[in-house]
Amino acid sequence: MALHFPMKQSWLFEPPRIMKILFSKVLYSYFRNKKMVFWMSLACMGVLLCLPNSVAAQEVDGNMLLQQTVVAQDIDGNKLLEQVDKNLSPQSYESYKKLINIEPDGKKKEFILFTIKKGKDKVAALFLSPASEEGRSTLRLGDNMWLYIPNVRKPIRITSLQSVVGGVFNNSDILRLDYATEYKAMQVEKRDNEYLLHLKAKTKGVAYDTLKMWINKDTILPTKVECLTESGMLIKTLYFKNIKDFDGDITRPSVIETDSPLYKGHKSVIIFAKMKKRKFNDEVFTQTFMPNLGSLR
Amino acid sequence: MQHLREHLIKHLITTLFLLALFLPLSLTRAEEYSFDLAEIEKKACQFGGYIEFRPLLYGLDKDASLYKLKLYNRNKENVHDEYNVTLQINASYEKGKAKLYTKLNTTITNSYLGWDDDTALYEGYLSLKSSSSALFFDIGKKTVKWGKGYAWNPAAFVDRAKNPDDPELSMEGFIIASVDYIKSFSGPLQTFSYTPVIVPVYEHINEDFGNIDHINFAQKIYLLFYDTDIDLMALTGASKTSRFGLDFSRNVTSNFEIHGEFALINDFQKGIITSDGIEHKIKDDTKSYVMGLRYLTESDTTIIGEYYHNGTGYSQKEMHDYFSYINKAYDSYISSGDDGQLKKALQITPGNFGKPNPMKDYLYLRLSQKEPLDILYFSAALTTIYNLVDESCSLSPEVQYQPFTNLELMSKLTILTGEGKSEFGEKRNNWKLEFRARYYF
Repeated sequence: MALHFPMKQSWLFEPPRIMKILFSKVLYSYFRNKKMVFWMSLACMGVLLCLPNSVAAQEVDGNMLLQQTVVAQDIDGNKLLEQVDKNLSPQSYESYKKLINIEPDGKKKEFILFTIKKGKDKVAALFLSPASEEGRSTLRLGDNMWLYIPNVRKPIRITSLQSVVGGVFNNSDILRLDYATEYKAMQVEKRDNEYLLHLKAKTKGVAYDTLKMWINKDTILPTKVECLTESGMLIKTLYFKNIKDFDGDITRPSVIETDSPLYKGHKSVIIFAKMKKRKFNDEVFTQTFMPNLGSLR
Repeated sequence: MQHLREHLIKHLITTLFLLALFLPLSLTRAEEYSFDLAEIEKKACQFGGYIEFRPLLYGLDKDASLYKLKLYNRNKENVHDEYNVTLQINASYEKGKAKLYTKLNTTITNSYLGWDDDTALYEGYLSLKSSSSALFFDIGKKTVKWGKGYAWNPAAFVDRAKNPDDPELSMEGFIIASVDYIKSFSGPLQTFSYTPVIVPVYEHINEDFGNIDHINFAQKIYLLFYDTDIDLMALTGASKTSRFGLDFSRNVTSNFEIHGEFALINDFQKGIITSDGIEHKIKDDTKSYVMGLRYLTESDTTIIGEYYHNGTGYSQKEMHDYFSYINKAYDSYISSGDDGQLKKALQITPGNFGKPNPMKDYLYLRLSQKEPLDILYFSAALTTIYNLVDESCSLSPEVQYQPFTNLELMSKLTILTGEGKSEFGEKRNNWKLEFRARYYF
């Protein structure tokens, strides 16, 4: 990440030299030898695109996590997971989310979304701000995901590992299904005030192969979730904070923070507001309805 | 070369000025986060859009056929510069089940032709929704985008032709009346929707759609079946010949998508010209198709690849004849000063040889890297369109950056390469340098 701001500053102070090289020399040569420039451009972009993107992820020491724990064979992990889902959100609801990407220097980028969900595998979101994203909508039906961009005027398929907002959250985080829909419990550990639930993805199409979920024994709400690859590499950690009462009968964390060893120094936050139960017809969770999601507000 | 340098310097000064203006703002620290409920209050009347500044430089190829055709009566410049300012305004008013929506686009251009401005209502329609959210009725000017291809959409029967160089560009719609009926199911068939569209074509109404004084009927059926998007489309009516289409798209894994599109056009008519200037019309049933994929690598590189067979396109011989005629017409103009033959070639070009990618077989490849060198909100991309018939191609490296919310900066260089009488080799420019600053409000 050290290159982040020095890079921007170098553009600010050194463009004449760079531009001189790029345009005066190369374009001049171009008139003399078209093929040379064609292949040079291809090679330069190839090098740029092949550069390693970020710092290698950290391995998690599984032994540390298993210290001072007791494996709870009397607890059905899958039922516990279903209870977590039930406590996190009603079967059918609407809510507003503010998503904040925070950079290492504190600079932020904020998005506001209107989100609706029905059942275990239907979720849709509409971007309300910033202006550059306004009117975009995303839809998820199980493993199927689409993005609708007003200018493009048609939904295009996206994948769960892409990110429509950049930063630490990817599409599967923003359009999260019930945990029990995508994961099965492998093991439950009892601790003093919490359970540690080890979860495994039901299919290869799920964004994270393995989850470790810390659950408060009293509230049956998650306090922390680690997302890992099949080999145990930590991708990101979600922290559930600020339990709040929504609409009288939904009590759940109102803030989810996340960080990732893949994005050192970066943090992303989701803040929930105005979550309330609401019934929807199945037809609103369709590709054809996506341009009209705003009419549900 | 002196002329070229002057233009480059002028262009770069503009670019640097914009970077210097906006980059320091990006370094400003923001306040602590909060969620004010006023931010989510819904207003009946909504207003937004963007303003864009887009300077371009064209490096002209004075030996190319299309240079001779379009700039034969100009001075022999090496470079053309062009400056565009675009204001696009979107406004909507919603009450109950009804919504009025408009999108107005104004572009002011300064180029070698002088000042020009163009204002167009891209969209302006009324939308009515049923209380069950399963039925919509739209009437007015609306952009309809059909097809699953990224760069090409042969089955987009109610659209204007897309520019493969900028597939996500906002486009003007046609005046239509349409209905969307949606039905969801549980089981392998999850969604069914049916969209009939009426396209009237009369004097001053959709004149550029096809033959006037006709009402055309298009329809699309969409299915989400076994996690695969499937569309079936058709267009009938006398403004254009009948055509039928099919497309599909599916996520194979969490980072891999495949898509395809097929179009059958009955009695498609195209104009050709021989090297001696004799014009013909050829009528034939044509088949066009696109096969493509989108793949996201572990290092966040997105790869979009497509193969396009354009059944309505021209063969290599037909393009050779067209270019040969232009060259003969130009020689005649140089020797006699009579531009009659060139004007004839200019007349047949739009809608025929002047269409984007007018030949038979193409490959499209776009590699885009999100945040290379860990520079947040920065991306680099390389796009190539390769003509498989004449082996000419365009190659476009580009960078995009969002220094702060609502501002997008983009710079793109397009290099065209190809032998004589090839599509990209005969374009009027060898290269194009483009800069775009777009601010959303």
